[in-house]
Amino acid sequence: MPINHWSRFGLLLGLLLVSACSPDAPPPSSVQRVDGHLDAQGLLSYDPGDYHETRQGTPGGTLRMSAALDTGTFDVHSSYHGNVQWLARIVYDCLLYQDENGKISPWLAKSWDVSEDGKTYTFHLRDDVTFSDGAKFNAEALRINLEHMRDPATKSPLAAAYIAPYIDGRIIDEYTFEAHLREPYSPFLYVLAQSWLSMVSPKQIREAPKSIAEHPIGSGPFVLQSYTREQGATFIKRADYHWAPPVTRHIGPAYLDRIELSIVPEAMTRYSTLQSKRSDFTLDAPAQNTAAMRASQNLVVRNRIRMASPYRSVTFNTLRFPFDDVRVRKAIAQAIDRDGLAWIAGFGELLAKSDYLAVNTPFYDPAYRDVLKYDVDAANRQLDEAGWTLRDAQGYRVKDGRRLSAQLLGFESPSFPSNVAVAVQADVKKVGMQLTIQMMPLAQLTDRRTAGNYDAIGGGYWHTNTPDGLYILYHSDSRASPTKSGNNLSNLSDPRLDQLLGAARRSHDPVELQALYSAAQQRLTEVVPAVPDFESQVLIAYRTAVKGLIFDAVHNTPFFTSVWLDQEAP
Amino acid sequence: MKQLAARLLAGVGVLWGAATLTFVAIHFSAGDPVLAILGGPDAIPTPQQLAQVREEYGFDQPLWVQYGRYVGRIAHGDFGESYRLRIPVTEAIGKQIGATLQLALSAALLAIGLALASAVLTAKRNPWVRRVASASELVLSSSPSFVLGILLLLVFSFQWPVLPPAGSNGWQTLILPTIALALPIAGMLSQVLRQELEDILEQPFIAMARARGLSQTAVRLRHALRHALVPLVTLSGFIFASLLGGAVVTEMLFARQGIGRMMLDAAVAKDAPVVLGITLLAALVYVGVNLLVDVLNGLIDPRVKPR
Repeated sequence: MPINHWSRFGLLLGLLLVSACSPDAPPPSSVQRVDGHLDAQGLLSYDPGDYHETRQGTPGGTLRMSAALDTGTFDVHSSYHGNVQWLARIVYDCLLYQDENGKISPWLAKSWDVSEDGKTYTFHLRDDVTFSDGAKFNAEALRINLEHMRDPATKSPLAAAYIAPYIDGRIIDEYTFEAHLREPYSPFLYVLAQSWLSMVSPKQIREAPKSIAEHPIGSGPFVLQSYTREQGATFIKRADYHWAPPVTRHIGPAYLDRIELSIVPEAMTRYSTLQSKRSDFTLDAPAQNTAAMRASQNLVVRNRIRMASPYRSVTFNTLRFPFDDVRVRKAIAQAIDRDGLAWIAGFGELLAKSDYLAVNTPFYDPAYRDVLKYDVDAANRQLDEAGWTLRDAQGYRVKDGRRLSAQLLGFESPSFPSNVAVAVQADVKKVGMQLTIQMMPLAQLTDRRTAGNYDAIGGGYWHTNTPDGLYILYHSDSRASPTKSGNNLSNLSDPRLDQLLGAARRSHDPVELQALYSAAQQRLTEVVPAVPDFESQVLIAYRTAVKGLIFDAVHNTPFFTSVWLDQEAP
Repeated sequence: MKQLAARLLAGVGVLWGAATLTFVAIHFSAGDPVLAILGGPDAIPTPQQLAQVREEYGFDQPLWVQYGRYVGRIAHGDFGESYRLRIPVTEAIGKQIGATLQLALSAALLAIGLALASAVLTAKRNPWVRRVASASELVLSSSPSFVLGILLLLVFSFQWPVLPPAGSNGWQTLILPTIALALPIAGMLSQVLRQELEDILEQPFIAMARARGLSQTAVRLRHALRHALVPLVTLSGFIFASLLGGAVVTEMLFARQGIGRMMLDAAVAKDAPVVLGITLLAALVYVGVNLLVDVLNGLIDPRVKPR
């Protein structure tokens, strides 16, 4: 999942408002702000109660919540919007779910078998699930959903690619479905747990696929009652729902009667409506207000990490001078002070990072987390060894009459705000490299990107629930070409890394997968295609009257089925 | 009648020009429309999807063929389907325009009302009154709506929560955005109006009216104001443009629905059909407003004959 297009406008206003109180000294660490416990080895563990219900809630009430952006459509198969992660869970269910350790677990599928050759998946489905239009969930419904995801008319930007190896399916009996893949693809089960691959009513897909965008029919715990684009949506509880994922330990229908979602692009308004009790919950808590919210007795702030790829400050084009030299790439990675970046970009909420997988991703290996850590001396040594020993009048390094200089392209976004760009520029200047920054509109950046015309690009992250996110960002298959889009912006083509990530796609053995993904994480710190700077994080805030909040183990976003309201709370 | 027909024809010409310019601008601006349709730069459509969309939308055709098809379609009232929302543009605009009209109309009324009141009450009065009025107009007319909007929010929604900060349901949600949108326009208009009124109050016929025993107020309202209205009507183009431009910012700030916000989202996402649709709608209204202005000017000031 790509750049989350937070309103640039909102950011601008936010900056305007906070510039008067900009932070001057970074705190020692932002570790305590992140949910969960980060141990000395660098492994993150969440409270188990974050993922399953610990006590029964009180039914009733309306949850009023705000989000910064509208997804524009409820047809999640045709979307790649970040908000689909939590939004789809309100009206839809998925075939599979994940447990708190990242292991695939049942949802609408009770169980599944994978053939020896990894190309045939057999799903045994629940037989008691219905969509809100009365249609049954069965093998045919699953088949129709997979077809809808890859139907060219759906114009799917994400789901279609995630199930690309799927050839066809066979209905063995009403509740048994056999999926045939072109090649072994172990991420298949993982992606089927993602919100973008939710199950839509087969009747609606057949009869009125265009209506899914505004009047979606799912099998989820709530039914959409009304939706006005850019304004909000109202959901009402479905009384006969009783198929929440077993991992959540939730029995029966959702506790809340209604959810009222408002789209509020302005950060200040999201914060102030929460504070004045005009809203109960915000899915996009403004980082500049979290200190005040944490200090308030009536508000709770949660800070969750998205799995897979962290935010990157710089992705190097490894085909171009000067980043075609791995020593230069490594030196730049070591020259950038991530703690400083995290502080100026996140008001102490962001967790600095110098390796390539988010700490809560399955098969994350913390062993290589310090290989590329901030170390100016090491950076200078690397550059000296690479032959950049001379300096010109401005103090920049020179080799063969050429200055160590490159251009960094960027687009204002949460993963790459201008102040981060400027800080990166200042950091690399300290080791004698000139970095010019060009911030540009997204469309222009896209053109430069498609044409391969860049030295380096700032920003970006990729959220998925499997370490296969590394394949999407760094495998040579993921390079873009005129006929193919791809997210390997570094144009890295490393046979060793390709072999590891490819083998991981063919394996289902956890021990083997751990070995392959550990080796891949190590290899990335050697080939340095990009500079990770901090974890990709989600900030939410809510009033203390909101109880029972658990997180979706797939996306680490709120899971509203188990949320309830303490009506007596102040 | 013949003049009206000629004007209408000219209006169609303006619309055609606007459609062509927008087409050219969108075509030559950055960003691949195929990617816009398939979810943006980070989406991972398959090569088959890319090829399919290129063909389906005719992007593989020469530019003049694309242009011809486009003009042909809009001549039939078909504005196509939004790349991002996947619904017909007319439907998308139809759902949003009500809120914008409400806001624009209430802001226009407020701005004109304030400008008239300020001009009539302060023109050629005590120099201090005049100076204060004139200074505040200068401040207002040079304050962008988003600054005023933030101040209004801070005071009336956050400090003293008397009005809702966001939404577009109910008259309460209309108050703050209306004020934020109207004040800069009112500031500008009342400067022009007072200047005009003061010029007119120097005219001999005003002295005549006074000599006939009419009160100062009656002279201003009945005689002078009528003349001062001519530039106001002429400025309605400016008012319209300010309302449209201001709506983008105001709708974002106050989380209102509307075509201003829709236009911004569409432009960022390179959703060409929506950008074209809204541009054409704006051009259409602009042409309509100007036609109306010519007619109105003729009514208010009989010396102005429509040529």
